[in-house]
Amino acid sequence: MMHERVFGSFDLFVLPFLVGMVFVLLFCLFGLLRILYQLSREERLKFYASLLNPANIIKNLKDIFFDCLIHVKLWRRNPLLGYMHSSIAFGWFMLIVLGHLETWFYIPERMELIYYPIFFRYFMQVSGTTVGGALFFFLMDFFLLVVLSGIGLAVFKRFRSRALGMKRTTRLTLLDYVALYSLWLIFPLRWIAEGFTAGVAGGSFMTVPINMLLSSFMKNPENITIAWWAYSMALSIFMFSLPFTRYMHIPTEILLIPMRNAGLKVRRHNKGYALAQLYSCPSCGVCIDACPMGLHRRSADATVYMVRQFKRANQARSLEIAEKCLMCQKCSSLCPISIDATELRLAFRSRQKYNILPDFQYLKRYLALSAEDDSAYAQAQNGQTEENSSGNPVMAVVSSIGSKVKSIGQKIMSLGSSSKEQQENIGSEKVLYYAGCMTSLTPVVRESVEKLLKASGVEWSNMDSGRSICCGRPLFLSGKMEQARQLVEANSEIIHNSGASILLVSCAICYRMFKEKYSLEGVRVMHYTEYFNELIKEGRLKVKRSALKYVYHDPCDLGRGCGIYEEPREAIERAGHLVKAGKERKESICCGGSVGSLALSYEERVHITEHSLENLTVNAPDCIVTACPLCLTTYAKQSEIKVEDFAQVLVENLK
Amino acid sequence: MTKNVVVIGGGASGIEASRRLRDLGYSPVLVEKEDHLGGHLASWNRLFPQMIPAKDILKSLTSDMKGIEVFLNTEVISINRLKDSYVVKFSNGLSAQVKAILITTGFTLFPAQKKQEYGYGIYDRVITNADLEAWFNGNKDKRVTDPQVIGFVHCVGSRDEKAGNRQCSKVCCATAVKQAIEIKEKFPDAVVYCFYMDLRMFGRGYEDMYLKAQKDYGIRFLRGRVSEVSEDINGRLVVKADDTLLGKPVKISMDLLVLMSGMIAPESNMELSKMLKVLPGEDGFFSPANAISNPTLSNRDGVFFAGAATGPKTMPETLSEGRAAALEIDSYLKRVGD
Repeated sequence: MMHERVFGSFDLFVLPFLVGMVFVLLFCLFGLLRILYQLSREERLKFYASLLNPANIIKNLKDIFFDCLIHVKLWRRNPLLGYMHSSIAFGWFMLIVLGHLETWFYIPERMELIYYPIFFRYFMQVSGTTVGGALFFFLMDFFLLVVLSGIGLAVFKRFRSRALGMKRTTRLTLLDYVALYSLWLIFPLRWIAEGFTAGVAGGSFMTVPINMLLSSFMKNPENITIAWWAYSMALSIFMFSLPFTRYMHIPTEILLIPMRNAGLKVRRHNKGYALAQLYSCPSCGVCIDACPMGLHRRSADATVYMVRQFKRANQARSLEIAEKCLMCQKCSSLCPISIDATELRLAFRSRQKYNILPDFQYLKRYLALSAEDDSAYAQAQNGQTEENSSGNPVMAVVSSIGSKVKSIGQKIMSLGSSSKEQQENIGSEKVLYYAGCMTSLTPVVRESVEKLLKASGVEWSNMDSGRSICCGRPLFLSGKMEQARQLVEANSEIIHNSGASILLVSCAICYRMFKEKYSLEGVRVMHYTEYFNELIKEGRLKVKRSALKYVYHDPCDLGRGCGIYEEPREAIERAGHLVKAGKERKESICCGGSVGSLALSYEERVHITEHSLENLTVNAPDCIVTACPLCLTTYAKQSEIKVEDFAQVLVENLK
Repeated sequence: MTKNVVVIGGGASGIEASRRLRDLGYSPVLVEKEDHLGGHLASWNRLFPQMIPAKDILKSLTSDMKGIEVFLNTEVISINRLKDSYVVKFSNGLSAQVKAILITTGFTLFPAQKKQEYGYGIYDRVITNADLEAWFNGNKDKRVTDPQVIGFVHCVGSRDEKAGNRQCSKVCCATAVKQAIEIKEKFPDAVVYCFYMDLRMFGRGYEDMYLKAQKDYGIRFLRGRVSEVSEDINGRLVVKADDTLLGKPVKISMDLLVLMSGMIAPESNMELSKMLKVLPGEDGFFSPANAISNPTLSNRDGVFFAGAATGPKTMPETLSEGRAAALEIDSYLKRVGD
C-alpha cells in the first residue's frame, strides 16, 4: 500500500532546492551572528535573559504566530489585504508542517533529509484509501488552495491595489520582481507536480481534477521529472534571491519579535537591533499611503524607501530621507511590523557632524550663580528699559558669555526663587506651568490657560514667563542629543527646585519631551488637556455646552506620541458638539508644521496643511480645535474656518 | 449706444480715472462697496514725504464729480460678455452695458492678528499702522496713552512667505519712518524703535526723511526681526528681537507696538477674475498683459487696470495710472468704434 518509490530517497531535481535552502540557512545564521555581535554587552545579556523568561517565551510565540503568520494588523486595516498575506504565510507554513508530519508519520527515518518532506509526494507512494491518507491528501490540497487563493489576490493587487485598501504600492527592485514571480510560480508548479501523483496513488479535490484536466500532459511519465524539476527550480530561485529582497523579512521578523519584547532600543541606524528592523521590513508599502508627504505623487521619502537606502548604505539619499521626515509617526503606527521609523531616522540624524554645535554648559553656571542672591537681578530689571538678555538659550549662545554670565544666571534663577515664595501659599498640589517656546509665539494659548487656572481657583506659578529654557525636543529631533541633554538637566533642576507636584504643559511637543526624556520623580507631568479634563470631571472647572460643532485634531506628539486621544475629546464634548474628522486618532494627518522635519520646503508643507485641513473639515465643523500651539499657527494661516486652541474653546464656554 | 465706462473701486485711482474719462466725454459709472469714496486715502492722515494731509488730496479729487455716476454701497454681482461689450449687474439692482471696464480694486491691509506672535488683538498695547493713522485723525484709542517706549515692526505680513505673502508692500518702510516721526512729535520724550529687515527708501525725498528721523528725532533703527512679544505683570509689552548688526538678541519693554501691516490683494479679486476671466497672479493681484510697456492693459479686450489692483503702489503712482488708464480706454473705444 505504502512504499518508497525512489531508490535511495534521492533524485537530482532536489538539488536546486537543497542548495538554495542551505544557502538561506547559512545566510540567516551569519546574519543572526552579525546582529548579535553588534549588540552591546548589556543588550545581549538583556536579550538572552528575556529568552529564558517563561512569560516572555509565551509572548514571543504568540506574537510570532499572530504577526508573522496571521498578520492581524493587516486584517484590521483591510480584510482582503489581511487574507492575502495570511493565506500565503499561514497556508505555506501549514504545507511545510503537514509535509513534515506526513514524513514523520509514514517514514520517520527520512526526517533528517531536509528536502524529503518538501517533495514527499514524489518519494512516497501513499494510498488515499486509508482514513489517515485521505485526511493528509485533503489537508494538503486544502492549504494549497488557501495559498493559491492568496497568490491570486496578490496578482490581482498588482493591477488593482485599491481594492485591497492601498492607493499606492511600493516600487520594487529588479530582484524583488525575480523573487515575487518565483514565489507566484512555486504553488501552481507544486499543484501540477502533485497532479502526477494524484494519477498514480491518489489525491484530493485539487490534485485529482488537475490530473484529469491536463490528462494528455500528465499521462506522459517523462513529464513527471520536468514538473518536479520546475517546482524545485522555482523554490531555488526564490531561496537564492530571498536574502537580497524584501522576503528577508520572513526569517528576520522571527528574530525581531523576541528582540523587541526584550526591550531593546535602536542605537545606530543600521547596527544590531536596528539592522533586524531594517531586514524585517516587507516593503508592503502601507507607509506610502500613510506618509503625509506623499500626497500628490508617489513619495520617494516614505519609510519603505528609507529602509532600502539604509540597507544599501546610500549616505546622500539616506540623509535626505532622514532629514525630510516630519516625524509624525503615522507610518510606524500603521506599520504591520511596527518598525520604529522615527527612531531609525533619529539614530541617523544623531550621527551627522555639524561644524557649529551649541553648548549649553553655561546654564549650569547660571543655575549655580543664581542660588546666591536675586536682589541684583531685581535691581537690574527695575532700572532698565532695554536689556540685552537671552530669553532663548539658542540665541544666548551667540552672545558672548563672559561678563554676562552672572546677571543672566541670576535672572534665570529668580524664577526658581519666585516659585519658592509661592510655595507657602499653594495648597496640596503645586502646579508649575511651562508654556514653552511655541506657546510664547501663540500668546492666546498662554492667556487662555491662565484664565482657566484662575477660573478653577488653582494656585500656580509660571516656569518660563520672560526667561525660558527650551524643553530640548527640537535639538533632540535634529539629533543633537548631548545639547538636548544639557537643556533637560537645566530644566529638571528648575522643576525640582520649585517643589512642584504637577508640571503643566500646554505644548504637545514639550509634553512628549518631558514625558519621555526627563526623569522627574515626584512630579506629575500633565498635558493641559489631561489636567483641565480632570478639573472638569472633579467639578472644579465648569463649562457649558455651546451649539458649535467642533472637530478635534490629534497633534502627532500628543496622540501617536503619548497616546492621549480621549481626554481632549471628553472635555470638548462638554463644551460643544464634537464631529469626526475623516481620519483621526492613530491615523490623524500631521498639520505640516512639525519641528521634526529639517529639510521640508515651505511649499511642500503648505500642501500637507491643505490636505490635513480637508481631512478635518469633511463633516463641516464650525471650528477646528487643536491642542498644540504649532498646529494652531500652521492651520490658522491656511484655514477658511476658525481654528482655536483647546484652552481657548474652554475659556469661551466657561460657566 | 451709451458712452458708459464702468470703474470698479472708488479709491484714488478710480476717482482720478473717472474724472479724466468724464473730461474726455464719457459717462463713467464709479462703483464703490463702502459708503464713501476715497478708499484707504480717506482713512489716512498725512502722506509722505511732504506730509501733505490726505484730506486735502481727497478733497481736490472729489471736488468736481459732475457727470460721474457714483454708486456707493454697491458691488458688482455679475459680468456677462457679449460680442464686443459687457453687461455689468450691480447689487443696487441697476445694470450697465459697456465696452470698457476699469478695475481699480486696490488692496487690503494684511490682517495683523494672523501673525499671532506679535499679539495684535490679544495684548492691549499692540496696534497697526491703520489704527495709528486713525488716532492721528483724532479718533480715540485707549491703547495709545502716553507711551514712553514705542516700537514699529516693519514687514508684518509682507516679504513673509510663512504668512503667504512674498511680495514687498513698497510703501510701509517710508510709512513707518513717517509715523515714527509723527508719534515722536506727539510724544517728544518717548523712545522710538523701528525693527526693520532693510529700509527701502526708493523715492525722491524718502532718504532725507529717514536721515531726518535719525538726526532730528532720534529714532532708533534696529535691523532684525521681532521674534516674540509678551506681556509682563504690569501689562507692559516685552519685545524680543534679534539685532543682526550687533549679532545679539535684545529684549525691550514697551508701551506701544505698531505693526506695519503690508498690502495684500483683496479677496474679492478672485470673484472678479472669474467673472472677467482675467487671471490674478500668484499673489492675488491682477497681472497686466505687459507690465512694462503698458501696465493698464489686461489680456482681455475692454478690461483695464489702474492703481494698486496690480500690486502695491504709492499715491502718485496710483493717480498717474488712473490718468493713463483713462487715456488708454479712450483710444481703445475710438479704435473699436463706439
